[in-house]
Amino acid sequence: MRRHGAAGAVAVTAALALALTACNANPSSTASPGPTTAVTKGGTLTILTAQTNIDLDPAKSQNLATTTLGLVLRRLTTWDIQPGQPAKVVPDLATTTGTSSADGKTWTFQLKDGLKYADGTPITAADIKYGVERSFAPELSGGLGYHKTLLVGGDTYKGPYTGGDLTSIEVPDARTIVFHLTKSYGDWPWIVSMPAFTPVPKAKDDPQKYGKNPVASGPYQVDVNQQGSLLRLKRNPYWDAKTDPERTGGPDQVVFQLGQDTTVQAQRLIADSGADKNAFGAGFVPPSQLVQIQQNPTAKSRLVTSDAGALEFLAMNVTRPGLSDLRVRQAIEYAVDKKSVQVAAGGVIGGDPATTLITPGIAGRADYDLYPAGPDGDPAKAKQLLAQAGHASDLKLTLLVQDDQLNVGYGEAVQQGLKRVGIEVTLKPEEYDAWTADVTNDKGDYDLAISGWQPDFPSANGNIEPLFASSEIGGGGFNLSRYSQPQADGLIQQATGETDPAKAQALWAQADKRIMQDAPVVPLLYTKNSFLHGSGVQNFFVASFPAYPNYLKVSLAK
Amino acid sequence: MSAAQIGSPDVARRGSETWRRLLADRWAAIGAVVVVLLVLFAVLAPVLAGIEGQDAYTYHLDALADSGAPLGSGGGMSGRHWFGVEPRTGRDLFAIVAFGARTSLLIGVGATAVAVLLGVAVGVTAGYFGGWYDRLISRGVDVLFGFPSLIFMIAVGAIVPARFPRSSLILLVIGFFGWPPVARVVRGQTLVLRRRTFVVASEAMGAGSVHVLVRQLLPNLGATVIVYATMLVPGMIGAEAALSFLGVGVPPPTPSWGRTIGSAIDWVSTDVMFLLFPGLALFAATLSFNLLGDGLRDALDPRLRGLR
Repeated sequence: MRRHGAAGAVAVTAALALALTACNANPSSTASPGPTTAVTKGGTLTILTAQTNIDLDPAKSQNLATTTLGLVLRRLTTWDIQPGQPAKVVPDLATTTGTSSADGKTWTFQLKDGLKYADGTPITAADIKYGVERSFAPELSGGLGYHKTLLVGGDTYKGPYTGGDLTSIEVPDARTIVFHLTKSYGDWPWIVSMPAFTPVPKAKDDPQKYGKNPVASGPYQVDVNQQGSLLRLKRNPYWDAKTDPERTGGPDQVVFQLGQDTTVQAQRLIADSGADKNAFGAGFVPPSQLVQIQQNPTAKSRLVTSDAGALEFLAMNVTRPGLSDLRVRQAIEYAVDKKSVQVAAGGVIGGDPATTLITPGIAGRADYDLYPAGPDGDPAKAKQLLAQAGHASDLKLTLLVQDDQLNVGYGEAVQQGLKRVGIEVTLKPEEYDAWTADVTNDKGDYDLAISGWQPDFPSANGNIEPLFASSEIGGGGFNLSRYSQPQADGLIQQATGETDPAKAQALWAQADKRIMQDAPVVPLLYTKNSFLHGSGVQNFFVASFPAYPNYLKVSLAK
Repeated sequence: MSAAQIGSPDVARRGSETWRRLLADRWAAIGAVVVVLLVLFAVLAPVLAGIEGQDAYTYHLDALADSGAPLGSGGGMSGRHWFGVEPRTGRDLFAIVAFGARTSLLIGVGATAVAVLLGVAVGVTAGYFGGWYDRLISRGVDVLFGFPSLIFMIAVGAIVPARFPRSSLILLVIGFFGWPPVARVVRGQTLVLRRRTFVVASEAMGAGSVHVLVRQLLPNLGATVIVYATMLVPGMIGAEAALSFLGVGVPPPTPSWGRTIGSAIDWVSTDVMFLLFPGLALFAATLSFNLLGDGLRDALDPRLRGLR
């Protein structure tokens, strides 16, 4: 999943909890630092987005902690994102990032004093419990679901509307909340920064409409929310900056203009006229506009590019005839022309060639290349492997790609690379939702698929488990290769349960290499995201993780 | 065109007469010449690309800057790449436009053939047999006229599995939505012809309906059908280009003007040539078929000329 500035919509079944998504991985720690200046209050910030509807329901959201929902809704913890520094998890509504019991299975959080919603009523621990509970309801599916199998009883719980309350979350008093997990889980402080850990007052809940105007706890509340046109946020008078160091609340108003194609966003921001001076684009600048911006010094100074982060990969469906043969998959590893894929992404500014599954910037990553082939592949070696497998010239494969310019470009680059070794690839471009449904359903009727992957929190766990655990095959899971290997599953399980970060990292690096020996995917690129902002926008930066701007700190010049 | 039609015996003489009139019409003659050139361009695409030494599929990353934009001015135009190269892939634009002409003309003419076959079959039977069958067909045609065909085509494209050859699918779908106007005109023409004396005489001598339809009516509908077919072709080419522009036409990397124009839109501010060549080709194709069709209509029915 690549589009993330706002709520994505991938249905995730509760059973497969690690669902995915979106956003980005961690670039190396020397991110492009944007200049930061003192925050000036006031003005109307405009955010241009291609989305046609922004659903602010925390249970349905796959938002990063630092994008759209973060402006309106606070969670137990949030992310401290600074230019040039690695992401840190920090307290938000809670006083700390949580204290765990000795066995790592029980986590306790205390809320800060004096927290209030936009209507002046106090925020209580029971509201957070209710917010988590409603994320289990089938009618509110689609949000990040990492917590769903970790909480005791979560595998069978169906939400507060039909299932009563979830006993593994306790609220001994109005300011204390305790979570009981099924296993030791060291990354739990990151999990509670996800949208489901937003307080939702039970009296105000209506699953049909809550996402239109949720009860705000952050610096802004919804003023106007018109589907297909705009979402306008105004200040929340009860938000207290003293309790919230991560949000600066600079602009008086934040307006999301919906339905703005990425090309349109880029053209408006290049022109930088009128109200667009105080605007930025939530979408990645497309390669064609990157060329234009690089030729235009004033626009170039307003372009912010992330470090190489999210993994773009070619998944090979190992259950299909032909591709079930390891030698064929290895041949494809050698045959793919990564140089062409990189140029399709816009060249060096679009990404760096990839060889590993764990992405740069993630702690514990070991760099290696099991299939060394030079920048544009090694067709001779690939042909040799294909001949050994008895598929010298009879392979015809279907490749599912999303139908936007960038993905079709990747698809064509892969197609021409494989054509050199006699593999005939048919591209099937599909609209984003149809593509997602086709690659994550139980049938798996495709040979190849190209996808991007950004971990939802900066840990190797987020790189490996959602893509390669056998529990993530079909049913909304993102194991697009349909890869199932007991040894790899064992390593994943072992690494997830490991509480010592150093040992866990070593296990993840081992799993990375073990999986690549089976060649279920071809790592194509560590992509870089470029964003453009208007000349009046300040404190706009993309840190090492996530490769998206930090909406919470953006302010406007006087 | 209707009462002016002449009976079967005159067909041969009328042919040369039509040619003379057609060539006398300067615009029609230009249209005809451009059509012939385009057909040659499409047929000879492999030869022309061979002379240039390129094909439409090979990537030339050495012709691109690091950003994916073509090196050099005019979108990378040079002796090696006559029309320059495609950004982000370095594929030869001349070869893409030449092979794209094949796609456009094949689908344009093929879909027209489908539409004309269906339209004539339906129209002539409806006009000849009349009655409830005619009423049913006419209402059906009305429905199809009001049908949101583009949306339907996009939906069909999404549903049909990737294994089904895409070009044939596009051809059939576009052709299927092209027949109603042909059917309507042919039906009207048939209504007139069936009361003409040669038809009545044939029936009086005991000819069956198949004989009357095939031997008496169809030859006399020829001129109308040819004119209509010519005028349908640009619409069909346009429909294919529209579908490809929207990303639901022929699949990449099969060259298609519509798809190239679709990607070129994003590059218009940095590489105009990328849009210009496929755009000009599409413009030339639709305009020339329209001019030729107009000219043919005038030539076949000179009395209309003064009325325009």
